[in-house]
Amino acid sequence: MSCVAPSAPSRAEILSLFRSLLRTAQKFSDYNIREYAKRRAIDGFRLNRDVSDPSMASSAYSEGKSQLEVAKRQAVVYSLYAPKVKSVMDVKSR
Amino acid sequence: MAFRAAMLRHIRVPVQNLTLKRPILQSWSFGNPTRSMSSHGDDHLDREEVIERVLSVIKDFPKVDPSKVTPDVHFQKDLGLDSLDTVEIVMALEEEFKLEIPDKEADKIDSCPLAIEYIVSHPMAG
Repeated sequence: MSCVAPSAPSRAEILSLFRSLLRTAQKFSDYNIREYAKRRAIDGFRLNRDVSDPSMASSAYSEGKSQLEVAKRQAVVYSLYAPKVKSVMDVKSR
Repeated sequence: MAFRAAMLRHIRVPVQNLTLKRPILQSWSFGNPTRSMSSHGDDHLDREEVIERVLSVIKDFPKVDPSKVTPDVHFQKDLGLDSLDTVEIVMALEEEFKLEIPDKEADKIDSCPLAIEYIVSHPMAG
């Protein structure tokens, strides 16, 4: 979309993206999708934690941004088709 | 009709029953009647309880050695976690206490004492 030379995202920006992804993940009504989105966000950030090349970091960052938009949209769509029965994992055992 | 009227004249509602009902109704309304229904003010969580719940959240975190967790640990220095883990822990605390901590505040929380302090002083923590 943009042709400006990518600059590496700052540490705060990255953590903020991570936090937004986790927050969005919590919005899914289905247990399995919720856990998947959370796991996917954590694994994705772990996978790229040692990326030092600025252009690699910035492409990973924009990939994360676009995934965040997908997740936000899907959370809304899935909420319209929320499962009628809770997952057994959602039933608190405490 | 006449029978009905006769019956009604016979059946008497005991008056003392009505007066007895009052205290029952009062106790039904949200426990202590002098307490306001507002969630602000002196509704803060007990410090001891906050500490206990914060510690249990941290101990439940998979990468943490539960035996190392004390009320004054630093997430990165003492528990060997990184900044991503810290974000996860703060999110777990948000979930536990039903809070939403703004990014600015959440970035500052990097140790147990700060987390406890933030939650104790937060009026909506539950």
